[in-house]
Amino acid sequence: MSADASDLSLVRRVQRGDKGAFDALVLKYQHKLVKLVMRYVRNPAEAEDIAQEAFIKAYRALPQFRGDSAFYTWLYRIAINTAKNAVVSRDRSPIEYDLDRNSSDESYDMQGRMKDSETPEGLVLTDEIRSTVNAAIDALPEDLRTAIVLRELEGLSYEEIAAAMDCPVGTVRSRIFRAREAIDRRLREVFEGGLGRAEELG
Amino acid sequence: MNEELDSQLSAMFDDELPTEECELLARRLSRDEQLKARWGRYAVMGAVIRAERGVRLNASLAGRVSAVLLAEPALLATGAGALRRAGLRWWQPLAATALAASVAALSILWLRAQVPFAGTPAAGLAAATTTLPRPAVLPARSAATSRAADSYVVPRPSAPPPVAVPSTELANYVVAHSMFSTPVARRNLLSAFMTSEPAAAGAEEALDNVKSAAH
Repeated sequence: MSADASDLSLVRRVQRGDKGAFDALVLKYQHKLVKLVMRYVRNPAEAEDIAQEAFIKAYRALPQFRGDSAFYTWLYRIAINTAKNAVVSRDRSPIEYDLDRNSSDESYDMQGRMKDSETPEGLVLTDEIRSTVNAAIDALPEDLRTAIVLRELEGLSYEEIAAAMDCPVGTVRSRIFRAREAIDRRLREVFEGGLGRAEELG
Repeated sequence: MNEELDSQLSAMFDDELPTEECELLARRLSRDEQLKARWGRYAVMGAVIRAERGVRLNASLAGRVSAVLLAEPALLATGAGALRRAGLRWWQPLAATALAASVAALSILWLRAQVPFAGTPAAGLAAATTTLPRPAVLPARSAATSRAADSYVVPRPSAPPPVAVPSTELANYVVAHSMFSTPVARRNLLSAFMTSEPAAAGAEEALDNVKSAAH
């Protein structure tokens, strides 16, 4: 098994003309990328626009991606450059520059800014997703919770988690999977319900 | 849904699935919307656990990107080739360049050595005849005389080829291989070649020498 094998297998499919495989890469990294871009722009909607642009640039540049580095490292660089360029071009615009100056103090309220660009429904749904996942994690048996948190929060490999929890690697894989299954059962309802509500509003 | 498949998906999400299984699952993931949605929810879980504040967890970024890419042509297969090419050894282009340079140098030396004999084409022709005996032509030729009606072989022309032909052939050879030689080596070779033009009868031998040195 090689590090980044799953990303590479998806990348190869995209390079062979399978656009569906690129969806999987976007789904996997969209939150990380938006979070990364928000170091440069604080408006979540703007960060999403920049992240979207970065993904599209990455797609167009994928034929040149040779796999010398991990896919996310490569994507990360594209996103950073896109964000920097966006900041430079925004700062050249006098109106947006003034808006940015007004909101660049230390006590900047991200949630307040978020409300400017986010619909109430979207905010509620985001909060609902967050609280559902947290509640589901709290309800997990201790061994499952430890395994998923070590993986997602600490970024440990299965082997490292196995060493930390003193169990075989296969057990770690099974625990993480079962934790995800338990969380997913609750999360799916929120997504399906949320989508239903969004459709009603639309 | 198949529990084993979901278990594989979870391991793939963590980059903990063996490569060969990744290949198979990537294929399925790219086509199965249900599986893709589950994959997306795994990402949401991670974002919540890492407390990625300010990130909209219900953002349809994937949908937006997908909508934009819908108008784009699918990528060509060159990318996969690029991945394979990344495995090429670094010394291969260098070795090709070195070989081409040595061929060029040898041909320059040889051509310079021929210059004193430029005024005696007959000598060069004799040398070419002695050093490079023509292939024992041709079974078909004798067959042509005995069984002309059955032969499908075009008989060779009886007259010797014009003197200019080997020169042209050598020039073409040099041009064709110029991509592997340095500009200086190329210029030297061509100038040496031009000065030896009167001894064109020897050029055929030069060509053969250059080719044999190259291979």
